[in-house]
Amino acid sequence: MDIVGVDTGGTFTDFIYEHNGTWGVYKTLSSPNNPADSLLRGLKKVIKSDNYKIVHGSTVATNAILERKGAYTVFITNAGFEDIIEIGRQSRTQLYNLHYKRSPQLVSKELRFGINCRIDSKGKVVKDIQESEIEQIRHTLEKIRPESIAVCFLFSYLNPSHELLVEKYLSDLKIPISLSHRILSEFREYERSSTTIINAYVSPKMKRYIQNIIDEIDNNELRIMQSNGGSISADVAMKESVRTILSGPAGGAVGAYEIGKMAGYSSLITFDMGGTSTDVALIDNKLPLAFESKIADFPVKVPMIDIHTVGAGGGSIAYLDAGGSLRVGPESAGADPGPICYGKGKQITVTDANLYLGRLVPEYFLGGNMKLDYKKLEDYFKKMSDDIGLSEIELAEGVLDVANASMEKAIRVISVEKGFDPREFTLFSFGGAGGMHAVFLAELLHIPRVFVPQNPGILSAIGMLMADIIKDYSLTVMVENDSTNFNEISSMFIQIDKQGTDDLTKEGVPQDSIILEHYLDMRYLGQSYEIMVPFDEHYTENFHNLHKQNYGYADKTKKVEVVNIRLRARGIPAKPEFGTAEYDKPEIDAEAFLGIKDVVFNSKAYQTKIIARDKLKYGNIIESPAIVVEYSSTIVIPPKSIGAVDKFGNIIIDIQGD
Amino acid sequence: MKPNPIMLEVFKNKLSSVSEEMGVSLNRTAFSPNIKERRDFSCAIFDDNGDMIAQAAHIPVHLGSMPLSVQAAIAEYEFEEGDMVILNDPFKGGTHLPDITIVAPVFAENKKKPVFFVANRAHHSDVGGMSSGSMPLSTSIFQEGIIIPPLKLIKSGTIDKQLMRFFLNNVRTPYEREGDFLAQIMANMTGIKRMEELIEKYGLKTVEFYAKNLMDYSEHIMKKTIQQMPDGEYGFEDFMDDDGIEQEKIKIKVKILIKGNKAILDFTETDSQVAGSINAVYAITLSAVLYVFRSLVKEDIPTNMGCLRPIKVVTKKGSLIDAQFPASVVGGNVETSQRIVDVILGALSKAIKEQIPAASQGTMNNVAIGGINTETKEPFTYYETLGGGMGASCNSHGESAIHSHMTNTLNTPIEALEYSYPFMVTEYSIRKNSGGIGKFCGGDGLIREIKLLSDAEITVLSERRKLQPYGLDKGQKGKSGQNIIIKNEKVIMMPPKFNTKVKKGDILRVETPGGGGYGNPEFKKQNRIK
Repeated sequence: MDIVGVDTGGTFTDFIYEHNGTWGVYKTLSSPNNPADSLLRGLKKVIKSDNYKIVHGSTVATNAILERKGAYTVFITNAGFEDIIEIGRQSRTQLYNLHYKRSPQLVSKELRFGINCRIDSKGKVVKDIQESEIEQIRHTLEKIRPESIAVCFLFSYLNPSHELLVEKYLSDLKIPISLSHRILSEFREYERSSTTIINAYVSPKMKRYIQNIIDEIDNNELRIMQSNGGSISADVAMKESVRTILSGPAGGAVGAYEIGKMAGYSSLITFDMGGTSTDVALIDNKLPLAFESKIADFPVKVPMIDIHTVGAGGGSIAYLDAGGSLRVGPESAGADPGPICYGKGKQITVTDANLYLGRLVPEYFLGGNMKLDYKKLEDYFKKMSDDIGLSEIELAEGVLDVANASMEKAIRVISVEKGFDPREFTLFSFGGAGGMHAVFLAELLHIPRVFVPQNPGILSAIGMLMADIIKDYSLTVMVENDSTNFNEISSMFIQIDKQGTDDLTKEGVPQDSIILEHYLDMRYLGQSYEIMVPFDEHYTENFHNLHKQNYGYADKTKKVEVVNIRLRARGIPAKPEFGTAEYDKPEIDAEAFLGIKDVVFNSKAYQTKIIARDKLKYGNIIESPAIVVEYSSTIVIPPKSIGAVDKFGNIIIDIQGD
Repeated sequence: MKPNPIMLEVFKNKLSSVSEEMGVSLNRTAFSPNIKERRDFSCAIFDDNGDMIAQAAHIPVHLGSMPLSVQAAIAEYEFEEGDMVILNDPFKGGTHLPDITIVAPVFAENKKKPVFFVANRAHHSDVGGMSSGSMPLSTSIFQEGIIIPPLKLIKSGTIDKQLMRFFLNNVRTPYEREGDFLAQIMANMTGIKRMEELIEKYGLKTVEFYAKNLMDYSEHIMKKTIQQMPDGEYGFEDFMDDDGIEQEKIKIKVKILIKGNKAILDFTETDSQVAGSINAVYAITLSAVLYVFRSLVKEDIPTNMGCLRPIKVVTKKGSLIDAQFPASVVGGNVETSQRIVDVILGALSKAIKEQIPAASQGTMNNVAIGGINTETKEPFTYYETLGGGMGASCNSHGESAIHSHMTNTLNTPIEALEYSYPFMVTEYSIRKNSGGIGKFCGGDGLIREIKLLSDAEITVLSERRKLQPYGLDKGQKGKSGQNIIIKNEKVIMMPPKFNTKVKKGDILRVETPGGGGYGNPEFKKQNRIK
């Protein structure tokens, strides 16, 4: 059976596939207007047997929100609380904007319906639901025919009876319904409502998209990547589409985790630098999870791989601001007009600075298929450096320094600010531009080594193939630790364990390869942020330890509260294996040397070797300064650092800087 | 030496990172919902004179006042490594008693004196005084809680346990306070560590040089912003509803003189300080001025003392907006600060009409509820502020149910609230048609209705209950707010500021003001543009 990983991005759709033990990669342009097109087109190219399995990460759900092209959705909640989704947390995201505007709502006022019913904080019905009220809403819905319905009542995770009753009464309308206690069984009504609405808003579109693919692939298996780093069946993805938002970056993190682990590196900081932005994540022996993120200003509270994004990339534009400070980004030249060296751009970008210093080799950029215009840069650099009063070289290095400073800040947010010391990590670099900046960033953060995998340009697709089948469950229980114990909490898991096992069985995972991981969200009594703690006999101890690590202190005399229980049900599929090479020798073969050129490091020109990555062999040592080129990326190894090729073909660079 | 544009940008990133990392630390380790859920705190770094270099974008009302805290601490003490000074005295660098500031020195390169300072300020939901939540209707500072002059809470790394014990003995929720203090101390330690790392990497001279240059940088951009305003004198006055003791309205008046790249704000014709608790100390007035002018800057600049250099603020000692000891001041920070912003914006609207919105709700609607939970027998105090309508602009409607100007605190989720307190929220909605009509309409206020499940004491400090937020350019005023208590279905209208005891089953209903409209209502634009 063939297996295929497909990652649909904004520009390219990437494929990695296996047929009879051989691996291949393929890239084709994405088709944003009909995203299934590029996928089906590419499949025809790469599929060589009748039997195959696809794991796919798509941007359909994300784009539906960003482009406001989701379903016509209504929202049903308690009467008197219809505006909660608009009020949000009553704060503004820009402090000094006198004309601040919120993102327009996904469900406008006239499409929100209130029902006079109420459940209290103990799960007790205070005011029961009147069936006549649901009937009335039903009438209205029959008239306006929405495409999707979201329902969220206060405290429904303690007592879902009202939500279930609404579902029962509306079910014959044949409109998909998202109930908040199913999507997110946790407290905090705004975040739960928002997550439920987003699910309702994107699901119909996702369903059409997936159905479209299923119709074309006969009975072959299609699995969809989720933002939590695991895959789910196409069937579940159609109903719980909110779980697929941001699945592309999650694929990258899973790929880094698996490939790093295979090569012996399990503490990683991933660094994915693209054209307009850079994604970073910290992997400390396990994939990092975040339980709340935002899309277009709306909170989404499903588990996601914790990825931090900063608006600096290869296309970021440099300019001198009104106060005389050199800024880089967040404005990007994008694909059009693009950097100056692509031909149309008129403002200096990060890519231009790299080319100006000689770190980008025009002959080998995208296999030499794309022409880079070095000559054109000279005028622009001359003009801007005259304006600023620096030399051209100082300007080009400065543009990179400023871009690196904002990426350094992003890495600090996920490491230092969370109690991790970057010196204990390896910087795992992928994406098109990452390899030109990774060593410099590692130097700034005292990270001792940089890891560049094979095929860094399609790592997300690789990650999708290697992802586990994962389903996440949670439930707010809110008990003081003093009044409970290990056995009692264990029994709280019984019901969701059963659900997890049933669901994974439906996903086709054999009983004996289902893993149930138990966690608790805990906090000191009175705190309002929880930490996720592995649940075993020592869970209280685990909590204090993790609190100390994250926040610098722990107090064993203070009362502790168990807020949520969490289950990760995991099925481990057969994973692709990558072959290893035979040890060759430290010296690089002559055929790998493409030439020597002048490259500027620390304001000085160095004679720098240009090396072809596909000619490198296991055991080769790359002495600096060197530039390693391949089809979709460039790796810069500045003076003092040393690169080595491992048995999988990964390049590992030891940072010898100060 | 001339600053290098690259290093300037790099240091802008690094120094803002330091204050932001302090904020992350404080936010995540604090105990009370007021700090953690609502994020009512600020963090900043200062030079050796106490001039602010960078502040994380947290709460505007803390802006101008943080430096005065640090300067008060510097004036009283010789610092040694590992010391931290705590204070809340409004007449010695504070603003109102619940806002407690902790200041810490940064030492480097064997210098005898601190080379930088870091500080953070957090709003504690109880500091003692005459009513739970410490937002009372007081007539003297002594009724508002425990007054802390600048004191060394930590000496050479050791917490003064006697001092801590004394303080905790004077507040209603000592356990929560202690946790919050610890978080504030941790935040400063984070700041110190990050500054030390910077100095180690770049050397003290360079860090000091760029810290100074970042102030010059902000000053330069602020001057350009003022330069673009037409020269002239622009006046405006508006009023506070009352002081909660007497019924009279109280005038705040400003004359703004714009000349070249400088601005002088003269508040000397403002009424005298009053008996009730809405007096504002000078630090608050300074914060309001800094907030407005910082908002007029279009560039993304560090908010620091450089922003204030081209601006002069003239007040009369003993007036409402430069209150003197022993005035009661607890509401000056939250209520009067908003009106100071209103009058500054009103005056500026005469100079730069297109850039200025109509008046926003002009209050923070402070609600404090305390008592003994009948079920758990534990005492509780709860404090929240409520959003309202934002003023409309010359080309857009105002947002509804949102905090504006001097505050940006979050609400407490209903499900979190009902877990922790004997309350049931019975309505939380947007107050329809409360925004002033205009070509563009003001945003609507909100309605928050809470049913008490235990006997309790309620204190409300609010404004714009009698006088309405102004419209601009023929736009109409926003609706004023209403405070209501419902006892056995009997509706009782309450004044703007009140303290009362309520019984289990009673309901507090607060309807917050709408924002003012902008432009002639005859040309009203379709309400929500999709």
